[in-house]
Amino acid sequence: MQITGQYLMNLILNGLLIGCIYGLMAMGLTLIFSVLGIVSFAHGEFYMIGGYVVYYLLEVFTDLHPLLAILAAGLVTFLIGIVFERLFLQPMAKGKIERPGEYAILVTFGLAFFLQYLMAGIVGPHSKRADRFFDLPEVDLGWLTATATTLKIWELPFGASRLAAAAIAVLLLLVMIYFIKRTWVGKGLQAVSQDREAAAVIGINPLDMNTLAFGLGTMLAGLSGATLVNVFAWVPWVGVPASSKAFVVIVLGGMGSIPGAMLGGLIIGIVEALGSGLLPDPGRALAYKDGFGLLLFALVLLLKPTGLFGREL
Amino acid sequence: MKRLPLLWILAVGLLILALAAPVLLRNQQYWLFIAIQAYFWAMLASSWALLAGYAGQFSFGHIAFMAIAAYTSGILGRDLGWSPVSGIIAGTLMAGVVGLFIGYLCLRLRRTYLALFTIAFAEIFRLAVNAELDLTGGPMGLYIDYLLDTTSYVPYYYIMLGLLLGSLGFMYWLANSRFGLFFRSIREDEEAAAAMGVHIVRYKIMAFVVTSMIAGLAGAVDHHLIGFIAPTELIIGRMSLVIAMAVIGGVESLLGAALGAIFIHFSLEWLQQIPVPASLMPKLIAMQPTLEKFGLGVGDRGLMTYAWRMVAFGLLLMLTLRFWRNGLIHPIIDRLTRQRARKETVAKRVQAAEVESS
Repeated sequence: MQITGQYLMNLILNGLLIGCIYGLMAMGLTLIFSVLGIVSFAHGEFYMIGGYVVYYLLEVFTDLHPLLAILAAGLVTFLIGIVFERLFLQPMAKGKIERPGEYAILVTFGLAFFLQYLMAGIVGPHSKRADRFFDLPEVDLGWLTATATTLKIWELPFGASRLAAAAIAVLLLLVMIYFIKRTWVGKGLQAVSQDREAAAVIGINPLDMNTLAFGLGTMLAGLSGATLVNVFAWVPWVGVPASSKAFVVIVLGGMGSIPGAMLGGLIIGIVEALGSGLLPDPGRALAYKDGFGLLLFALVLLLKPTGLFGREL
Repeated sequence: MKRLPLLWILAVGLLILALAAPVLLRNQQYWLFIAIQAYFWAMLASSWALLAGYAGQFSFGHIAFMAIAAYTSGILGRDLGWSPVSGIIAGTLMAGVVGLFIGYLCLRLRRTYLALFTIAFAEIFRLAVNAELDLTGGPMGLYIDYLLDTTSYVPYYYIMLGLLLGSLGFMYWLANSRFGLFFRSIREDEEAAAAMGVHIVRYKIMAFVVTSMIAGLAGAVDHHLIGFIAPTELIIGRMSLVIAMAVIGGVESLLGAALGAIFIHFSLEWLQQIPVPASLMPKLIAMQPTLEKFGLGVGDRGLMTYAWRMVAFGLLLMLTLRFWRNGLIHPIIDRLTRQRARKETVAKRVQAAEVESS
């Protein structure tokens, strides 16, 4: 296989597109970590549920706008997230649980197990895939051509579904950052993540902020899944590689760091695309696609566990 | 003192039941097979309980260690013609070596980081097994020689029961020796343990090596009975099952975890098909298309529940964690065994108080 500059460029750009979604997912995880101080091992399952909500909404209401379906998926995953937080994580914040660190790992892992099989029971064993959400307009400018399925810029092709997913992801990331940095509630979240007691003193209820942060985190996972259900085939186990990618991203970017999550997402996207695109044996390359990120992950954990922008442990 | 005979009656009764099972189930080879598998899961769950509940290393790579031994033994038998017994020994040692390596890598990692790292390790291993077609057979799986030249499950049953009791005995000895105290001290407070002179590095690695070898032994022997292994056995759901078994049984009790595994494995089989009265069957068959949409189906005796039985155990796992941190089986064992100790302690205290006051 001849490796040309164009081929490399194509790999990198497609990696960046998927990297935006990884960033969105990881942002949810990072939000949960910075406010609640735990890593949710059920993050991928919310991604999976988000995808299924969109798929079934579009199946039942055929003329529903995909964007509305995506928002509905966000709402559903937000609600599941806050209910779980109130029932299982709030007792931990109240100090009713012994060994909270171990409990948090096991109970979110248990939730993942529960949700996977719950969805397997509801949707059955066959994989689903939604139709393409948006068609691109037909354009031909010489250097830029677009058909319904692909956009070509200087002979570099991009899939319409991936492009749309990345655009929605970037938009949502910007909205989230605005929400966290500029609004009162967002500042409350930041305050709780910096100092729970001090936040409580000035009238922010840390327990409510916990619930909100967990719900927003799961919502971001659900939204990521919702935008990708027309790109990948959907099965109840689709969240496992997705959540392992989000883990890689937050560890690489530094636990609890928002710029870290975004940059980490892009890095993983590129590493994966290059790794699988440059391995000479195509069968192996496909099989190991998820492995490159994990390898990077293992290295970061061993060499620099605080990541790029992480707080000291 | 009154409770003690009850405990012994229970223990001896269970042992006799386990030893006599092949006779009781002589016309039901299938249930004998299920019992063997239940012992296999019991070995996994109890060794995980030693690693997580005693030493505090919440590793998610246990299934990978099980499979490393099974694959090692299978590949040695296929390519180099090793006999199953030498393959099992080599596989167990291999699991120990990889356990040593992973334990060493994990020295710096605590709780969440350790969990993340071991999940990554297990996933990389699964991907590698899938990808390396020449070595592992990839998704098509690997055929493994049978351990014994027999079609009966009875000898396998006694081998697995023997391994389970042997490994439980060994782990009990370990947990109640000085090592057990060191393991526990690491879980409670690593810095304090180190300050008191516990060689943290040595005991953490040792916990990994011992539990990986037990998981490996169980995996290698069990797959020489099944005769086949495929990467689908490495999915995270199987690791969740080990955790559910250990937690529901009692993660701080080796026996509790083992009994939890046996209980859950048998329940999963029972729940696969919920029997319904024959009069309801025509109605169920008429509803078949609707049922199939919800992951249910009609079997020859009643309602097939496919994924839903796992949903039940997922929920039970979460509720157990939330409300019964010691598990559901461990407190029963505890009640039976501690009764005497409690009375003696109280008697001693009363005595001491009397001596003091006089």
